[in-house]
Amino acid sequence: MDVTFIQGLLIAIWAMIVGLDCWLQAFFIFRPIIVCTITGLILGDLQLGVIAGGLTELAFAGLTPAGGTQPPNTVICGIMTVVIAATNNTAPATAIGLSLPFAMLMQYILLFFYSSFSLFMSRFDKYAAAGDTRSFKRLNFIPLSIVTLSFGIVAFLSAYAAQGPMHTLVSSMPQWLTHGFELAGGILPAVGFAMLLKVMLKLNYFPYLLLGFVIASMIPFSNVLPIALVGGVLAMIEYFRSRETNKLESELKKLKNNTGGDQDGI
Amino acid sequence: MASESKDGKRKSLFSKHDISMLGIRSNLVQASFSYERMHAPGWTWAQLPYWEKIYRNDPKGLKRVMADNMEFINSSPPLYPILMGLLLTMEEDHVEPTTIKGLKNALFGPMAGIGDAIFWFTIMPIVGGISASIAKNGNVFGPLLFFLVYLFLFWSRMPLAHLGYNLGTRAIDVIQENSKVISHVASILGLTVIGGLIASYVKMELKLKIGAGNTTISLQKQLLDKIFPNILPFAFVFLLYWLLKKNVNPIWLIVLTFAFAIVMSLIGWM
Repeated sequence: MDVTFIQGLLIAIWAMIVGLDCWLQAFFIFRPIIVCTITGLILGDLQLGVIAGGLTELAFAGLTPAGGTQPPNTVICGIMTVVIAATNNTAPATAIGLSLPFAMLMQYILLFFYSSFSLFMSRFDKYAAAGDTRSFKRLNFIPLSIVTLSFGIVAFLSAYAAQGPMHTLVSSMPQWLTHGFELAGGILPAVGFAMLLKVMLKLNYFPYLLLGFVIASMIPFSNVLPIALVGGVLAMIEYFRSRETNKLESELKKLKNNTGGDQDGI
Repeated sequence: MASESKDGKRKSLFSKHDISMLGIRSNLVQASFSYERMHAPGWTWAQLPYWEKIYRNDPKGLKRVMADNMEFINSSPPLYPILMGLLLTMEEDHVEPTTIKGLKNALFGPMAGIGDAIFWFTIMPIVGGISASIAKNGNVFGPLLFFLVYLFLFWSRMPLAHLGYNLGTRAIDVIQENSKVISHVASILGLTVIGGLIASYVKMELKLKIGAGNTTISLQKQLLDKIFPNILPFAFVFLLYWLLKKNVNPIWLIVLTFAFAIVMSLIGWM
């Protein structure tokens, strides 16, 4: 199928809505699982959107902006995964890989904004020093509009204007390359998990990681909820234990202080 | 200053609705995000209507509070409602600006740590992992579940703002006492889940067979799975982890993953 002009516009509008959310991080509808689902709906294939959403969400599970590095943009990645899978009849796992260049383009645009929006700061400072609340409030809408519009433009160009060349590219890909992309889509979550580990893993937490891994490898289940429950139990045990320790510690301190005071008195 | 307001009911400039709206407005903090000041302009914007009310007859005070808050601010966005509520009581009580500044320096760093540990490293992998595993089979309940959880978190900004506002300066003790325990406990939960996610959702299986004629064995099924199932995903994650520790850019890890997968496909090992 082809993306029609109307569908392209709808995708652009959707990208502007979730792009704004991506910037503000309010409703978290910028995550692939939501972005893909609605994009699928726009293209008339909800089922594809949901499946692509699940796969892309997993690929991005650990790729968060919290670690200090801006990951490939989830909005554009989500949209393009569904668009590429729908227009070229490729498997969603393969489409994730093909959508990444678009997502990285958006990532670099955002990085550019993060640096260049410093230019607004002197204006903000001026309004703050003057107590000009109206201008201060209004100035915030300029960066917001720039961000929102660029999401719309990038999404429209990628989804609608680039579909011809994309189709040529995908159909000329040899089987081993398509299969390679599909494999990569399945391995990609590893990058995110490694990034999570980089921030979170300390040696004393390693047993918990191993435990979660062993349980998931040995017991068949359909999602990670049982493991989350086991983790929750361990967390609760540790919570009560450290509360107890804190109490003991503060009591010990009190005792120490008391004897110290006595000696001072003597 | 705080003692006189603590006993008895202190009269407030703001209604319950105002404080709930402060929670909603806390979503604006990243509006004009830049590396130079991070959340400062959005943080100031979100609270501006409240300061206008406090400093209605004091233009100097308004200028002072605006300028003070335009300094670099970076903490965890979902926890801003608590901080905004807390700082609003202090502005209302006309606490010394230097005290407020000192408090910000002391609180915002630890709050960023707890916020990231809870929201990005614990809730996100768990909710994302569960809803994605449902969605992967084409079930609309997956995205719906994800949306509902985050809608709840959006809503929770309102009670959090009330919490900060009502606790006032007492919130500082609560936060400092619990911040270590909370991020410790969140790390335990988060890492257990990540261990599970690595085993469940990183897909690597060798197709390669070794031997000749009738005596071929499948490397994956008859060797690796016997040692330990999912040992390949686990090893690969730790290879990437090691590279990250060597300060390799995550983009290169993505490139490496693709190169690895394509080579594996080309030589027919996977």
